Amino acid sequence: MKYTLTRRDLLRGAAAAVLGTAVGFPQESTAPAKKSRVILIRHKDALDENSQFNEKVIQQMLDEAVMKLLDQSDPVAAFRRLVKPEDVVGIKSNVWSYLPTPPEVEKAVKRRLLDAGVKEESIAIDDHTVRTNPIFVKSTALFNVRPLRTHYLAGMSGCIKNYIMFDVSQPDHHPDSCASLGSLFHLSQVKGKTRLNILCVLTPQYYGRGPHNFSRRYVWNYKGLIVGQDVVAVDTIGLRLLMAKRRIELGPAQEIPPVPKHIQLADTKYEIGTSDLNKIELIKLGWPDEILI
Amino acid sequence: MTDFRESIPKKILDWQATGKDMVYDRKTLFDYMDGGAEVYLAFDFKEAFVRKYQDPAKEEIALDIYDMGSPEEAFGIFSCDRQDPGVGIGQESEYGPGLLRFHQGRYFVSITAAGDEKKAEKAILELGKAVAPLLGPPGARPALLGCLPETGLKKDRTSYFHSAVNLNNRFYLAGDNILNLDARTDCVFAEYEAGGAEAGNLLIIRYPDENRAQAAYRFFNKAYLPPNAAAGAAQAEDRTWTVARVRTNFVAIVFKAPMKDDAERLHSAVRYPRK
Repeated sequence: MKYTLTRRDLLRGAAAAVLGTAVGFPQESTAPAKKSRVILIRHKDALDENSQFNEKVIQQMLDEAVMKLLDQSDPVAAFRRLVKPEDVVGIKSNVWSYLPTPPEVEKAVKRRLLDAGVKEESIAIDDHTVRTNPIFVKSTALFNVRPLRTHYLAGMSGCIKNYIMFDVSQPDHHPDSCASLGSLFHLSQVKGKTRLNILCVLTPQYYGRGPHNFSRRYVWNYKGLIVGQDVVAVDTIGLRLLMAKRRIELGPAQEIPPVPKHIQLADTKYEIGTSDLNKIELIKLGWPDEILI
Repeated sequence: MTDFRESIPKKILDWQATGKDMVYDRKTLFDYMDGGAEVYLAFDFKEAFVRKYQDPAKEEIALDIYDMGSPEEAFGIFSCDRQDPGVGIGQESEYGPGLLRFHQGRYFVSITAAGDEKKAEKAILELGKAVAPLLGPPGARPALLGCLPETGLKKDRTSYFHSAVNLNNRFYLAGDNILNLDARTDCVFAEYEAGGAEAGNLLIIRYPDENRAQAAYRFFNKAYLPPNAAAGAAQAEDRTWTVARVRTNFVAIVFKAPMKDDAERLHSAVRYPRK
């Protein structure tokens, strides 16, 4: 019997074998298959010298990412591939006070939804009250938008974990390193509705301390967005970024935050996307400095 | 916790208490701290008192006082996440940018800046100094710490806890709970040095009974050590040694010892309590 990732697996660099291929490196694939496209876009001016978000640049980053994701040459045309004017759209944000979804990203998404013809009154941005928010209750489309950070239990808080507020009980997902998070995407309020996942890596957090697992010293200005329609693929790329940063800052022994098994299980058990890097087409756009992955 | 709350200053320098004071118990702690609550619930946490302060620029700091049920448990939660230098507040303390942590009696306290850490530093430290004397006399440290060999022990890197979630955040061992840790197990994890170099880590676990200790030892050998390892000992992939031993209701494991002899020496120095 093989148990999940142990310290010895990390020491021999076998993380990929134990976490599926979620954290490994792509190898030549023999059979052609449709890959999940994920866009990593970065811009050196996404934050200014005071670490304030630049709304105009972020809009431009989102536009370029979605155009590339959907092979479109115009951002509004790209968003029209994602929504119809009659859609009722919930933008699932994250309000965690220490590292919330930047309002600039929320606004950028909303602006393009309006441009694509969705009515203002048919759009809501919410986090903790999504289960009762009237727009979310009758939503026909969801946009999943949150920052990337480490988490005491799940190892990583990404777009998969962002849907935890759709369930009646959040603690029910805590056992076994939050292994069941992938099941959230089968809830009736959610299933089949997610049109886009945006993992904000503008200021990701690679390590956590204190009661809220937050200390600003572990947040860095990466100035990027990871965008895709496959939530597992998006989080898989996010995990690779966290691991790369942790390897540099904390050393190989702390490369993996304990223990992000929910990402692989979202693929192999809940079948909501792929964590296999062989099946992910990662396209990198923009600022290349210290890209890490 | 009610007796001292009213004595906590509502103003520190130019930072003023803001909003309503909040109290969270074992059922409601998730409302305050998301999944991080599990780390506290793995101890004998009773309740948390939370007060926020703001300066004129609306920067915020949060005072959290956790009643951990006993001084041993307060030491435990403090000891699991210690990295910064002490600042002489409470029984033991540490301060790093924007985060003061200390324990006093059965209470663990953290004071956190949400924004500009430098700007908040003075107020955080002053608030800590004002709160610590209100929390009663110092308390005892866990008796299990007495099992640790003293030679080479890094005292400020010694942790006390019960559950796998705390072990993995302190020293990642495995995704599964391969040592069968839970609220009824007591653990100390310590780091050792010799001649300025790392000399290994020691994990001592006290199980409620001998049967559980024996079962956990056997399971650890099967789940963690290679199949061809001599009983309880193996050289890991980084060339360091892992050596595990079981004695009565205790399991002791040395990780990262440079040589097998180093691991055995550390084991032989463990001071098991007399029956």
